[in-house]
Amino acid sequence: MSGRGGYLLRKIGWALLTIFVVITFNFVLFRVLPGDPAKSGLRDPRLNPAAVEALRERFGIDKPVFLNLEGGNPFDSQFVAYFGALSRGDLGTSYAFRDQPVSELIGQALGNTLWLILPSQFLAIVFGASLGLFAAWRRGRALDVTALTFSLFMWSLPTFFLGIILLIIGANWFGLPTAGRITIGAGFESPLDVAIDVGRHLILPTLTLTLVLLGEYMLIMRSSVLDVFGEDYILTARAKGLSTYRIIRHHALRNAILPMVTLIALNLGFTVSGAIQVEAVYSWPGLGALTVNAVGDRDFPVLQGAFLLIAVAVVLANLIAELIYGWLDPRVSEA
Amino acid sequence: MSVLIEATAPPSVEPRGALRSFLRHRMGVIGAAMLALAVFVAVAAPVLAPYDPYANVRVSILDIYQAPSGEHFLGTDDGGKDVFSSLLYGARVSLIAGFAAAAIALFIGGLVGIVAGYRGGWVGSVLMRITDFFLVIPDLALQIVLVAIIGPSLGTIIFVIGILGWTTTARLVRSQALTVRERKYVMRARAIGAGDAHILRRHILPAVLPLMLANMVLVISLAILSESTLAFLGLGDPTVISWGQMLNFAFGRGAVSAGAWWALLPPGFAIVWVVLGTTLLGTALEDALNPRLKRHHLEAAGSDVARGRDVPTLDAPTLAMTGSSADASPILRVRDLSIEFDTTAGPKLAVEGVSFDLNRGETLGLVGESGCGKTTTVLGVLRLLPPGGRVVSGSVWFDGDDLLGIDGPALRSFRWTRLSLVFQGAMNALNPVRTVGDQIAEAVRLHAPGTTKREAADQVAELLERVGIGRRRANEYPHTYSGGMRQRAMIALALSCGPDVIVADEPTTALDVMIQAQILELLGGIARDFGTGIIIVTHDLGVVAQVCDRVVVMYGGGVAEENQAATLFREPQHPYTQELLQSFPDLAHPDRPLRGIPGSPPRIDDMPVGCRFAPRCPHAFDRCGAERPPDYPAAGGRAACFLLDPEERGS
Repeated sequence: MSGRGGYLLRKIGWALLTIFVVITFNFVLFRVLPGDPAKSGLRDPRLNPAAVEALRERFGIDKPVFLNLEGGNPFDSQFVAYFGALSRGDLGTSYAFRDQPVSELIGQALGNTLWLILPSQFLAIVFGASLGLFAAWRRGRALDVTALTFSLFMWSLPTFFLGIILLIIGANWFGLPTAGRITIGAGFESPLDVAIDVGRHLILPTLTLTLVLLGEYMLIMRSSVLDVFGEDYILTARAKGLSTYRIIRHHALRNAILPMVTLIALNLGFTVSGAIQVEAVYSWPGLGALTVNAVGDRDFPVLQGAFLLIAVAVVLANLIAELIYGWLDPRVSEA
Repeated sequence: MSVLIEATAPPSVEPRGALRSFLRHRMGVIGAAMLALAVFVAVAAPVLAPYDPYANVRVSILDIYQAPSGEHFLGTDDGGKDVFSSLLYGARVSLIAGFAAAAIALFIGGLVGIVAGYRGGWVGSVLMRITDFFLVIPDLALQIVLVAIIGPSLGTIIFVIGILGWTTTARLVRSQALTVRERKYVMRARAIGAGDAHILRRHILPAVLPLMLANMVLVISLAILSESTLAFLGLGDPTVISWGQMLNFAFGRGAVSAGAWWALLPPGFAIVWVVLGTTLLGTALEDALNPRLKRHHLEAAGSDVARGRDVPTLDAPTLAMTGSSADASPILRVRDLSIEFDTTAGPKLAVEGVSFDLNRGETLGLVGESGCGKTTTVLGVLRLLPPGGRVVSGSVWFDGDDLLGIDGPALRSFRWTRLSLVFQGAMNALNPVRTVGDQIAEAVRLHAPGTTKREAADQVAELLERVGIGRRRANEYPHTYSGGMRQRAMIALALSCGPDVIVADEPTTALDVMIQAQILELLGGIARDFGTGIIIVTHDLGVVAQVCDRVVVMYGGGVAEENQAATLFREPQHPYTQELLQSFPDLAHPDRPLRGIPGSPPRIDDMPVGCRFAPRCPHAFDRCGAERPPDYPAAGGRAACFLLDPEERGS
C-alpha cells in the first residue's frame, strides 16, 4: 500500500508544483511583456510625475518585481502581493466591466463552460469509446473504415467551421436558437420554461463539441483496443473458452481504458480549444468567449484571470485522471 | 510466438522499402497531391485570381454579398470583394504560416529531444519536465494570451504557434535518440573514442531525421489549423487575407443571416482540404517508416478452418505410426494437417501434411528451430490460429471427435475442459489487471456453472498449492510474481478444469536453469499423476531429453523425424536431427565440438521444391532437390529422407 500512497503523493506534489509554475508564468507573462494599457498609459507624456506615481501605486507596480533586495521586508514585492491577492481569491477588477471583480466574472463564465463541456465530454467518451471498440474488433471492415474516415474528416474540420455549418443547419431546418444562453426578453412562466430554453440553446454547441471530441476519442480507443487484442492474455482467454463478449468485457476493456484515461487527460487542451471556438461561434457566455472578448477589449485583468483558471483547471483534471489510472491499474505502485 | 509474426508479416517490410510502401499507400499519394495543388494555387494566385483582393476599390452597398455569377465565380464578400480571388490568395497565408511555424516547432522540438535523449542526466530530466509542463497548458488559450499581449501580426502568430507546437516532436525525438544511444554500434563508436559531434552527426541525426520528416507534416497541419482558428477568433493579422480571416469577417458581418453561404463554405472547405492533405500525407509517411502489423486475437474475419477441407479418415493408411505403441489408445490424433497464411504474395502453406499421435499420460516433444511451424501446428490444433491463417486440409481427432468440425458453444465448452494451454514465458499470458486467483476461478466457474465463489476459491487454493504457490498469493496480481511463479500459476490455470491434454509452448524459455528444471518436473508429475497427455513445443533439446517420452522433429512446416526420445538421441535418422544434435552440448561427450547448422529455415514464401532441408543438408543429392521425400520407417520410428529409401540404399 505504501507504493500506492507514494504514487498518490508524487502526483499531487507534481500537480501543486505545476500550478505554482503556472501562476508564476502567468504573473511574468503579464508583467514583463508589453501591451498592458495600465503600463502603456503611464508613458503618456501628458501625465504629471505625481499622477504617474499615484497610478503606479494603485496598480501595485511601484514595488520590486520578485524580491525586495533594497532593505526592508524582502517579501514586499509585486510577486508576493500577487500571490497574496490570489490566495484571497482576488484577481483584480475588470477594465471593461467597471468595478466588476474578475473573480466574479470568471466564476459565472466557468459555470456556463462546465454546462457545455461536461455533457459533451461525457457523450463523446461514451460514443467514441464504443465506436473505437467496435472499429478495432472489426478491423479493416466496413464499420472500421467508415469510422476512420469520419475521424480523419473531423480532425481536418476546424471546430469553428463545424460550428458554423451546424449553426446554419440548426437555425434553418430545425429552428434552434444559435446565440447566447437564454432568449433575451422572453417572459418565462416557470423555472421549467427557463430550463427548457437554456437546454435548447445548449443543443447546437453541445452537438458541435461532442462531434469534435468524438472523432479523437474514437481513434484513441481504437488503437488502444488493438494493442490489447494483440496481447497474449487475450489468447489465453480465448483458449479458456470464454465467449468474445466475455473476453472484451472482462479482459480487454479495462486494459484498453487505461491508456484512454491518460490520453484523454493529455488531450484536455484539445477540449479547451474546442470549447473556446464553440463559445465564440454560438456566443455562449463561458470562459472561452470571455477570453476572446477580453482580448478585443484589452481587458488584461480578465484575460489573466481566465487564463489562470483554465490552466489550473486542466492541471487539476489531469491530476484526477492520474488518480483514476492509479486506481485502475494495480501495477502503478511499482512505477 | 515470434514464429507467427514472421509467418504473417508481409515479407517485404524492410527499411529500404519505405519509399515503395509509401507509394503503395494510396492515401499518402492522395494527400501529397492535395497539398501540391494548394502549393500551386498559393504560388500562382496572382495569375489565377481574376481580381486583386489587396487593391483598394470603391464599393457600393450593392456589391456586398453578391451571389455567384459569371463575373464573380464564388460571389462577393462583406466588403464587396471577389471571394474566389481572396480564396486563392488565402492559400499563401495559410501555407506560409503552416510551414514557418512548423519549422520553428521542429527546430525547438528536435533540439530539446536530442539533448534530452542523448545527454540524459539532469539536463534531460529538466527538459522533459518543461515539456510536460507545456504539454499540460492548453495551447489555444496560451496562444490567445500571447497574441493579445504581443499584438496581432502574421509574424507574431507564426512565432506563437511555433514556440507552443514543439512538445510532441520533442518527446518523439527524445525516445528515438534514447533508443539509438543504446544501440551497439553507437556504444562501440563511443568506446573507440568518437566525439559527441561525430556520434550526433553520423548516428543520431540519421536515425531521428526520417521520423522528424513524418512528424513535420503533421505539425504543419496543426499549425495551419491554429492559424485559421486564431484568425477566426479575430486575432489574425488584419493586413493579410487568410481563410480564417475571411470566415471571421463573413461570420461576424451577417453572412449567415444574409444567406451568403458562398462567403462561408469556400474558405472553410479550403482549410479542410489543406489539413486533410497534410494529415493523409503525414500518416502515410509515419506508416511507411514504422510499419506496424498488429496481432489481433479476436478478429471476427474469416474462419480458421477452410470450407471444403479435405478430411482424411482415421483408417486411411496415413503411415504406420511406428512411434506409438500398438496397445496405447491415442487421445489426440493429428492427420495430414496443412495450414496456410495470407501473405502479400497470396496464401502460402506454413504447415504441410503434419501427422502425429499423443497417448494419454504421454509427454511428446515438438522440436525444431524457430520458424519451422511448431507453434503454428499447435495453434491450428487448438483452433487458435491468428487471422489470415487457416487449416486447409487434414483432421484433428480428439477422443474420437473431429476437432476441426465443431464451432461456437461446442468448441468453447470443449476448450480448457479437454485441452488447455501453457504459454511461452507466461509474461503476458496472465491479465495484468486481474488477480491470479480471479483468473483461475474464472475458468473453474465458466466450465462448472453452479460452482459457488467459495468452492471456486477453495479449488484455486488447491491448484496453486499443487504447483507450489502458497494459497495466500491467490489475491495478488501477476506483476508481483517472479517469472518462475508466473509460469507455475499458468500451469495451475491450465490444470484448473482437469484437461486430458495440455499443450505447453516454450514453457521454460526465459527462465533460469534451476527454475526450468522445477517447471519440467512439475509438468512430468502432472502427466504421471493425472494421466494427462502433454505436448511440449520447444527448440531446446535439453528440455526434450529431460521429460519427453517421444519426439516429433519439425522442419520447414513438415515432420522430419519421429521416434522414442531415447532412440532419437541415440540413433538420429534424419540429417536435420543429426545436425540439431550436433549443435547441442552433450554432457556425456564434453569434448565433442559444437557446430551450428549453417543457413536458416526456409521462409514460407520461399519453400524449396524438393526436400525442405536439402539446401542446408550435407548429404543432399539430385533427387532431394526435385522430389519431396515421403516418410520411411527407420530405427523403430519414421523419417522423411531419401537416404532411408531402400532403393537408394541399394544403389
